[in-house]
Amino acid sequence: MRLLLWWAGRALSSAVTLLGISVLIFAALRLMPGGFAETILGPFATPAQKAELAARYGLDQSVFAQYGHWLAAVGTGDFGTSMISRQPVAAELWARLPVTGRLTLFAVAAAVLAGVPLGVLTALRARPGGGGAAGRLLSGLGVSVPEFALGSLVVFVVSRYGLQTSGYLLPAAVLSIFAISATARTTRDAVLNVLVEPHVTAAVARGETPWFIVRHHILRNAAGPVLTLTAYLLGGALIVEYLFNLPGIGSYVVQAVGRRDYAVVQAGVLLAATVFIVMNVLIDLLVGLVDPRLGRRA
Amino acid sequence: MSALLEVDGLEVDYGTARALDGADLRVAAGEAVGVVGESGSGKSTLGAAIGRLLPRQAVVAAGTVRVAGEPVLDLPPAALRRLRRQRLGFVFQDPIASLDPTMRVGAQLRLVLRAHGRDGRESPGGRDGGRGGADVAFHLARVKLDDPRVAAAYPHQLSGGMAQRVAIALAMAASPELLVADEPTASLDSQVREEVLNVVFALARQAGTSIVWLSHDLPAVARRCDRVAVMYAGRVVESGPAADVLGDPVHPYTAALARSAPAVAVPGVRLEPVPGRPPVLTGPSPGCAFAPRCPFAEDRCATERPEPVRVGAKDVLCHRAAELEVIA
Amino acid sequence: MNRTARVKRSRRLDPLSLAGLGCLLLLVLVALGSLVHAGGDPDAIVGPRLRPPGPGWWLGTDNLGRSMLPRVMEGVGTTLLLSSAAVLVTAALSAGFGILAGYRGGYLNELIMRVVELLYSFPAIVLAILVAAVAGPGQLAAVASIVLVTIPLMTRLVRAAAVAVAERDYVTAAAISGAGLPRILGRHVLPNVAGTIAVQGTYALSVGISVEGGLSFLGFGVQPPQASLGVLIRQGGTYMMAAPWLIIGPGVVLVLAILSINVLGDGLRDRFEPRETRSLI
Ligand SMILES: Nc1ncnc2c1ncn2[C@@H]1O[C@H](COP(=O)(O)OP(=O)(O)OP(=O)(O)O)[C@@H](O)[C@H]1O
Ligand SMILES: [Mg+2]
Repeated sequence: MRLLLWWAGRALSSAVTLLGISVLIFAALRLMPGGFAETILGPFATPAQKAELAARYGLDQSVFAQYGHWLAAVGTGDFGTSMISRQPVAAELWARLPVTGRLTLFAVAAAVLAGVPLGVLTALRARPGGGGAAGRLLSGLGVSVPEFALGSLVVFVVSRYGLQTSGYLLPAAVLSIFAISATARTTRDAVLNVLVEPHVTAAVARGETPWFIVRHHILRNAAGPVLTLTAYLLGGALIVEYLFNLPGIGSYVVQAVGRRDYAVVQAGVLLAATVFIVMNVLIDLLVGLVDPRLGRRA
Repeated sequence: MSALLEVDGLEVDYGTARALDGADLRVAAGEAVGVVGESGSGKSTLGAAIGRLLPRQAVVAAGTVRVAGEPVLDLPPAALRRLRRQRLGFVFQDPIASLDPTMRVGAQLRLVLRAHGRDGRESPGGRDGGRGGADVAFHLARVKLDDPRVAAAYPHQLSGGMAQRVAIALAMAASPELLVADEPTASLDSQVREEVLNVVFALARQAGTSIVWLSHDLPAVARRCDRVAVMYAGRVVESGPAADVLGDPVHPYTAALARSAPAVAVPGVRLEPVPGRPPVLTGPSPGCAFAPRCPFAEDRCATERPEPVRVGAKDVLCHRAAELEVIA
Repeated sequence: MNRTARVKRSRRLDPLSLAGLGCLLLLVLVALGSLVHAGGDPDAIVGPRLRPPGPGWWLGTDNLGRSMLPRVMEGVGTTLLLSSAAVLVTAALSAGFGILAGYRGGYLNELIMRVVELLYSFPAIVLAILVAAVAGPGQLAAVASIVLVTIPLMTRLVRAAAVAVAERDYVTAAAISGAGLPRILGRHVLPNVAGTIAVQGTYALSVGISVEGGLSFLGFGVQPPQASLGVLIRQGGTYMMAAPWLIIGPGVVLVLAILSINVLGDGLRDRFEPRETRSLI
């Protein structure tokens, strides 16, 4: 019951955040060069089209009313029309969803299967003070290579040695390396925090083996921060799609910025922020199920 | 008779701070020993050292710890775990934090019982091989937790007293030979304290378990324990039968402690606290660490480390023990 | 003897962090050198096109026959300048908003934290792209992106530190004895959150370099002919097969910059915000 209440509160506050984001994006839309009508219709719209748009969005009304109309349209999945393809933006995004989805799912799987164990291992090996300069350097390197730099390197190596560059394997591998190193680092911090808790000392005092303690007392306690990380993979997916020329949502939005196809940009950004927030809420729900204390903290 | 626990000349440093400065402690099988001392005197460090549970920054500079003859500080990891599992039990100060917050009480107990089942050791009441609910209920009932809802609760849903009883049930599940309780009632309300202590001492007596009870409270310890050890600045300055230490103290520090204890205060007689503060050691104390606060201190007290002296049934760490015994 | 040595070490930075600091200082020196064309004129054509490293062009030449050495140096300068300018802005804004939110509390705290959470809800590069779309590609977009990406975390942490300070006795005492708000904030709160700002500022610098690189790589940050590390990697990508040195030089420098800053940040964190290391397994 408490958990339910807490979760409802969390969902409500996310809804408020989403509303804030929509205001931000609407403001950005009005700030973009060319103005609202051109942003939605593109520069080649006929006066008739413009008049129709003005009526539909109430461009002759106050800013607040305009925001209301825009929000209503967006709420029903109407993101306007792409200036380049003259297709509804929603349909275009929908068509590209599977590419992005597959890529991120793969990376999430890699993060869970490889990143978590790696993080646990390095946390158990960590010694206060040193941890070994080499170990710190190596783990630092994992998060110090930006996606685009590592991606470029992979593309180079692969094409140099005549390997297959098309397909999803490579992009998925690049994104996975990121997911793994970021997850490993987050897991490590989370596990280090759990390790100093008295209940772990108590388990050690009972003569449990390290492996037993990790499995039964540490993993669940450290789950929260790790799950949250998966939401951050969205940004990495964008870079990787662009780099490998994959027809996903990320590369589509990047192209749209270059071509000043603003209807697509606003839709893409709104979509990314929404997915990010919804995922965070779902993850909070998961963490709440795993860690019963959360319900109390509300 | 060889003692169950033998701590000899133990010295432990935390970086530059010296927590133990040559501590000795002896506990026989089945005996309850109370270790008392002011905050910072090294009680927790001594307790942790018994199970080699010292934090990583702690360095053992000298000394040995033996449990049933086994050198705790030198055991290989697997033997150390076996020793902890079979012979030792620990109860800590913060009961709720010492339980896994993400696990129901019953599940935690079952996990511990299962581990003991693997050892081939039958825990008391283990009729169904450590698998089922009967076992959990039995172990909770032993610590006077009869409400079936306790097993289904998470630690944060319990009161401090209930959580501490769960922790005691976990520590006593395997009927250890020695239970180390580090201020197990410090964070509890005064009404609950006695109940929790009753549970600990009754269970220990039943299982033949020795107790090392670390505490601030000299009279409370003297009431329940067979023997008392008084710590000051990382050393045990006086130890012996509880009645002797409290009623007939020899070491000036113990004497001051016994006089200032509210339980022995007679109405109308002014309490006499120990003037001054305990030292913060950064290395071995050159002489007696209590000398600066001691009304009986001589020149050599500041420069010569006292060695334990036998006075009656007690061991006293004082250069003037023989003279003071006469005064007392 | 041994004892005093141990104390000293804990007060100073560890060797790895010092190495990070040294590396960072070296990069700053390189950036300063580029101002006086210490490595040569970045726009001068010095030799044949797409030559591998050799005498006269120690990092090779690009597709126009320009030497890569001065171009990389200029790139380091641009990237460091933009990132540190952005981080200064972030630090100033975060200090202001964070202390205000933490010390004053109330609706102001509510409002500031709402906005911060809003910004937190965008993946970094998505936020940067939105900024670039509004502001148009260029240096301003890069700086604004870095500020918006780094401000949420720093504001949150400064606020948390300010809340902790506000509860301390001496701050309460100062408030009771009638010290004005600016005096309390300046004399008592700011010095106590300075460590947090220093640590987070370091991390923000590395995030900034990464964001500038990513945005310029996508073509929305610094615009050619001006060089930045991101621009150089983007340009080098085109000739990657024929002339890998075009991308390796700037890539290595970029990673080195981020790595050394992160290592330094870890060292600073351990010094300013030591955490308990009592673990047994
Ligand atoms: N993890 C640690 N790091 C550094 N110093 C420590 C640590 N733990 C204890 N100390 C120091 O060691 C000395 C002894 O501490 P200890 O906790 O053993 O005393 P105690 O008698 O249990 O005190 P209390 O009654 O407060 O629990 C103290 O001076 C304390 O400051
Ligand atoms: Mg203690």
